[in-house]
Amino acid sequence: MEFDGERILDGINLYFNDKEFLTLLGPSGCGKTTTLRIIGGFLTPTSGRVLFDGKCINDVPAYERQINTVFQRYALFPHLDVYGNIAFGLKVAKLPKEEIQKRVQDILSVVGLTGFEHRSIDSLSGGQQQRVAIARALVNRPKVLLLDEPLAALDLRLRKDMQNELKRIQQAMGITFIYVTHDQEEALSMSDTVVVMDKGRIQQIGKPEDIYNEPKNAFVADFIGESNILDGIMLSDYKVKFFGRVFDCVDAGFAPNEPVDVVIRPEDIDFVPAGEGHLVGTVTSVTFKGLNYDIIVDFRGFKWLIQTTDYHSEGETVGIRLNPEDIHIMHKSEYSGMFGDYSSYSAEYDELTEDADNEEE
Amino acid sequence: MKKNKSILLSGPYILWMLLFTLIPLGVMGYYALTDPDTGAFTLNNLRDLGLFLPTLGTSVWYSIVSAIICLGLGYPVAYFIAHRSPVTQKILYMLIMLPMCMSFLLRTLAWVGLLETNGIINVLLGKLGMGTVEIIGTSGAVILGMVYNYLPYMILPLYAIIVKIDNRLIEAAEDLGCNGTQVFCRVILPLSMPGILSGITMVFVPAVSTFYISQKLGGAETMLIGDVIEKQFKTSNNPNMGAALSLLLMLMVLVCTGIMNRFGGEDEEGGVVV
Amino acid sequence: MKKTNRILTILIFAFLYLPMLVLVVASFNTGKNLTIFEGFTLDQYKALFQDKDLLALLGNSLLISILSTAIATAFGTFSAVGIHSMKPRLRKTVMSLTNIPMTNPDIVTGISLSLLFVFIGSALLHQKESLNFWTLLIAHITFNLPYVILNVMPKLKQMNPALQDAAMDLGCTPVQSFFKVTLHEIMPGIVSGAIMAFTMSLDDFVISYFVSGNGFLTLPVEIYSYTKKPMQPRVYAMFTLLFLLIFVLMVAMNLLQIRSDRKKLIKQVKPVSSRQKTFRRVCAIACAIAILLGCGWLILSTRQNKVTLNVMNWGQNIADGSDGTLDIIAAFEEKYPDIDVNYTTYDSNESLYAKLAGGGLTVDLIIPSDYMIARLKQENMLLPLNFDNIPNYKYVQEAFKNTAYDPENKYSVPYTWGTVGIIYNAKFVDEADVTGWELLWNEKYKGKILQFDNSRDAFGVAQFLSGISINTTDAEELRQSANKLAEQNPLVRQYVMDQIYSIMEGENAWIAPYYAGDCMMMMDANPDLRFYLPEEQGFNLFIDAMCIPTCSENKDAAEKFINFLCEPEISGANMDYICYGSPIEGARDYMDEYLAESDVIYPDQSILDKGVSYLFLPAETNRLMDNLFMEIRIAGQQPEEEEEASALPVVLTLSGLAAAAALLFLPKRKHK
Repeated sequence: MEFDGERILDGINLYFNDKEFLTLLGPSGCGKTTTLRIIGGFLTPTSGRVLFDGKCINDVPAYERQINTVFQRYALFPHLDVYGNIAFGLKVAKLPKEEIQKRVQDILSVVGLTGFEHRSIDSLSGGQQQRVAIARALVNRPKVLLLDEPLAALDLRLRKDMQNELKRIQQAMGITFIYVTHDQEEALSMSDTVVVMDKGRIQQIGKPEDIYNEPKNAFVADFIGESNILDGIMLSDYKVKFFGRVFDCVDAGFAPNEPVDVVIRPEDIDFVPAGEGHLVGTVTSVTFKGLNYDIIVDFRGFKWLIQTTDYHSEGETVGIRLNPEDIHIMHKSEYSGMFGDYSSYSAEYDELTEDADNEEE
Repeated sequence: MKKNKSILLSGPYILWMLLFTLIPLGVMGYYALTDPDTGAFTLNNLRDLGLFLPTLGTSVWYSIVSAIICLGLGYPVAYFIAHRSPVTQKILYMLIMLPMCMSFLLRTLAWVGLLETNGIINVLLGKLGMGTVEIIGTSGAVILGMVYNYLPYMILPLYAIIVKIDNRLIEAAEDLGCNGTQVFCRVILPLSMPGILSGITMVFVPAVSTFYISQKLGGAETMLIGDVIEKQFKTSNNPNMGAALSLLLMLMVLVCTGIMNRFGGEDEEGGVVV
Repeated sequence: MKKTNRILTILIFAFLYLPMLVLVVASFNTGKNLTIFEGFTLDQYKALFQDKDLLALLGNSLLISILSTAIATAFGTFSAVGIHSMKPRLRKTVMSLTNIPMTNPDIVTGISLSLLFVFIGSALLHQKESLNFWTLLIAHITFNLPYVILNVMPKLKQMNPALQDAAMDLGCTPVQSFFKVTLHEIMPGIVSGAIMAFTMSLDDFVISYFVSGNGFLTLPVEIYSYTKKPMQPRVYAMFTLLFLLIFVLMVAMNLLQIRSDRKKLIKQVKPVSSRQKTFRRVCAIACAIAILLGCGWLILSTRQNKVTLNVMNWGQNIADGSDGTLDIIAAFEEKYPDIDVNYTTYDSNESLYAKLAGGGLTVDLIIPSDYMIARLKQENMLLPLNFDNIPNYKYVQEAFKNTAYDPENKYSVPYTWGTVGIIYNAKFVDEADVTGWELLWNEKYKGKILQFDNSRDAFGVAQFLSGISINTTDAEELRQSANKLAEQNPLVRQYVMDQIYSIMEGENAWIAPYYAGDCMMMMDANPDLRFYLPEEQGFNLFIDAMCIPTCSENKDAAEKFINFLCEPEISGANMDYICYGSPIEGARDYMDEYLAESDVIYPDQSILDKGVSYLFLPAETNRLMDNLFMEIRIAGQQPEEEEEASALPVVLTLSGLAAAAALLFLPKRKHK
């Protein structure tokens, strides 16, 4: 797919299964919305094919596809009331009036908005507008529902509620949801399958647990949760060397002495007294996070993020232990060396990227 | 993609505008460069334009004066309207609009009735024992006519801009130590610059080309470029000369508005900085 | 500060509404004058509703503005959608095209369009009537389009593009999604664009003035020619009614808007039943149809299955039924019910010539003066008359046959004859000063003197004073006459034609040269006015005669009209109003005794012998006279001996072009 002469999507090869909750996850500009728009029929790919039930639908316009979309910021029609919005697609399809009425009532009860038929759109809260948008798409009984960052405009608490709600609706209706988000937590908690994308390419496809526990490269490791990523050398199966030490691990299948990326999740690291650890470092910063402390520890100039419930004060010398199952080995990729060092760590870092993501498109 | 298809919708429009705005100007240029009797190519019409340069100068001068007066009168009014309650604003806005919808010919004629030597104003002045004023037939009367007719064209764009000025900006300026005059000069005025410029343009352009106002309110000495053009077409039957004059007038207006827009561009940037 | 603002605002509103108040008051005035309120009456409103012509003009105006607004709104909305989907650079180019009619002075737009229409119509299609209803409609659509586009574009820009996607997602084709969603979103822009276009179109004078022929006129164009003559107060009545109508419309619109704003605040929207919806739609359609039918009826009611006879005459030059005179046109239409007279006016021979030579109109009957008839004949612009259709020609007095301008009596039938003399106000002018044409050069009356606003008559006055032949073709003599006029210029209050009536009657000027018959009418209105004929220095004796120009399409009807006007009884009745001498034998007997005996209208033969007629002058003499007169008008000083043939203006024009081009293109570069 090219857009304005620039290659936006490259080598996307995706299969969607029936009744699946699939999430396209990636930072802004990664091509996830473009992918969605191609599926929805709002964009035509410059090359490649979109198949639906085995048939190529490249030339089928949006209004003839059995696919409906919940748009970013909903795109509700401001000149129509709730009923008018939901009935819109059915009226266009010229269904009999009684049927329209019945289906609108049914879907209103599914999304929990019974009695709101004649409210104007402006008078609804964000969450209610969200439900109307979903109802408007679902009432047409599509085979696939596309959701483009549907919860981005909601506040945190409402977002959590709606996540559950969406999952419930998906299960109740029994149709395929293709969900676009930049929020990894949302992706992990709702999806059957997560597709991690970056720079127009798919980085990894898998179940949420697999994506988290076995990221394929430094990008995925960093994007999904926090990771300390170190350069290492795979000496042989189950033996990896970094920081001048050989550690046991559970990974195998690498070439002997292959340079690799080593991922260690901050929450997997255990503190031990300085003398007993595999590695010894100095605490440089401590941030209270509610459930735990984020502690940055300097190991020979390389800073790690460690999440722990134990308090350690700044300047303290600490040791850590690494169990074999805490160490995950990845092949080197173009992302190697770009992530995983916390020397410029700041607590606000995450929120800043999130804001930038919201401005996507 | 679908967007390419809707571009086609503008095809007829572009054709229409080319046919009825650009080509007519071309035809006008053609007339300006041909001889009225023989139809042969000539520069005589352009050469003779020299005769009318003083008239053009008078027209430009009158229009500039009226635009400035309009600005002076219109700004406080626009400011006043913009700071009323929404309903009052609507009513006042409507009252400003209303005269624009009524025949300007008759309204100008009414001024003749008011200003004549034996007109209403002089009759009233006479009854008060204050003698008479001779306004009609002077340049003052023409400028008054221009100000009267085009004042709404100044107030409306000014109002539209002033009403959008964020009150917080004014508060911010006060917070930073500006007094009332300073707030006005450093914040409100620069921010209303686009309105001022479009108001001036909207007064200047019709004023500089008018012929009715000068015919009715002016005297023997207040012939404007619009009168001359009208005469070339409607009495002297010299459309070629008229076309040349129109060309001159058009270029002059183009240059004036061009200069104004350039100044405007710079001023706007200045306004944003504040 | 705030208080002064408030006071200033009140003053400005008073300033804006004062003239309108004057007009409204005038509509209830029993007198004709704007200045003096004589008494309250509603007669003007009655007169208004009986004045078919005025109502037809109003119908024309409404028809043109409604049609042009409707077309421009639909056309402009679709075009705006197209422009919106363009790439920025192309869009910028198209928008600058859109801005041309907005930034150009109206007069330039009007002139360029009229030149185009005449160029295409006359030169390419050889149409007789190249300025007509359609050209007027095209012109109105052209200047309405930018208003619609400039109002719709911002709404399109504001619209969330996802709404269209959403509609398509829900099964709308692109066309359906436009009508079901986009249209609703941009509706406020469309409505305000349409309203602006409608008001601009309804009140447009300048463009219509140049683009309309004589077949289809709008109200403002006709009002323009009305304002030159003494205004009929029924026009003020119409103004008052229109004012009320627009006021009510505006208030209603504002109330609706305020109501809908309030509605938005209320959460629950009242469901609109489909029956209500249908009702509303039916109402809207019914309104539209009613308005169109109304306009159509107004126009058609005056022109059903009838031959239209286009008559062009001087202003105030036919009895119109006012003040107890005979309404000649009505009498003619009564006699020939299948003929409908479309009557328009001109105010000088020269402007008549400009109208005919400018092309673009159909005229069946004109009444120019002698020298102009000779010129028109010379330039093959007249048709020979068929005298079989004009049996009443036998009534024409011998003195008016075999004239210099039409020696073979082939092209013209005399209508009136008269003299040019001085009209002055005895209240202000010392009788001792009334000695001859030099009265018009008397410093004592500076600023109270009027002069003809046409070159031939103005030069004539100067030539009689200087003892130069009024038919001279000698350039030097013409320059001398021009110098004389230039000398007079500082004393002259105004150069006038038909406007002279209100100025002299209102005593706003005291001295003017003018045509005797018109002077008689003014003297009727103001008893202090006197007429003086400088018989020693000489004066112009003129004959106005009826001719049929080559652009005529109803020669038969025109000849019927000529024949009708030659009936002694009709001619006499006509003269009662226009106060000229009739060339028809026996007409004098039918005239009011007071007029028939007036020596202003019928001076002694001995005096008449001293009158001189204008003769046909060659084209170059006419042009020189026009140019000299224009110089006097614009310079107000002595004309230059020889106009210097400098290249300066050419250079100026071209450098202006260059500067303009530079200004237009420089900012673009800056942005890149």
